[in-house]
Amino acid sequence: MSSYNCGNPDCRKCKQRNNQESAEDMRYRNEENVQDTSENNDAVTRESLDATVGQGADQISILDQESDELIWIKDSCNVVVQTTDTQAAVSLQVGLQLAIALVISITIGDSDRGQTITQELFQQFNSEQTNRQRIYIDNSKDVNITTTDIDLAVNIEAMLQILLALVVKLDVL
Amino acid sequence: MSNLPEKPEKISNKVVDLLVNNAFRKNGVDIESVKGNLLDEQKQEIKELLEELTQQVEAFVKQKPNK
Repeated sequence: MSSYNCGNPDCRKCKQRNNQESAEDMRYRNEENVQDTSENNDAVTRESLDATVGQGADQISILDQESDELIWIKDSCNVVVQTTDTQAAVSLQVGLQLAIALVISITIGDSDRGQTITQELFQQFNSEQTNRQRIYIDNSKDVNITTTDIDLAVNIEAMLQILLALVVKLDVL
Repeated sequence: MSNLPEKPEKISNKVVDLLVNNAFRKNGVDIESVKGNLLDEQKQEIKELLEELTQQVEAFVKQKPNK
């Protein structure tokens, strides 16, 4: 990735252009990931028909983590943009998923049955997890933007609830 | 993605209970008989893990600007 530099380290235009490029870069990488996944999926289908359902759920959960954010500020001043830290949310989500999978795998064993249960619990979360966000600010002054990613917050709380319910049921607490 | 001011309500515990129970039952796992598979040591570790995750989730949910 090339980076713009006009000599002035505080130049806003250069920073914006660079940020913009990294966002596009990211999007491109995401698209590549999506393609990879669909190829894997085909391979799974070919190898074993029995596992198709389980694997399908697993694959979707990789796509879920796609969060796409682009903030474009042009010819403006005094702009404050506050967005949710999606990266932290996603890693928290993965942590919770791992914990649920771990508890199930310890108690039931790493069998097909255990994996099916884990995936059944995750499947409930797979519908609404791709977030796209575009913010364009052009020729403006004193703009204040705050966005909240409610989807992710709810999702994480729900997963924690499931983990808690699971752990209580298994008499760990 | 939304700018709705009010915080969404938590999912009812009953729904979560039902979901977990159903997942076990559907796959023919008897929860009572499976309980014995956990060692006390593992229980302790899971407990600690859970406390840590709970803290992280609470911190994340709190940091959101609730206006």
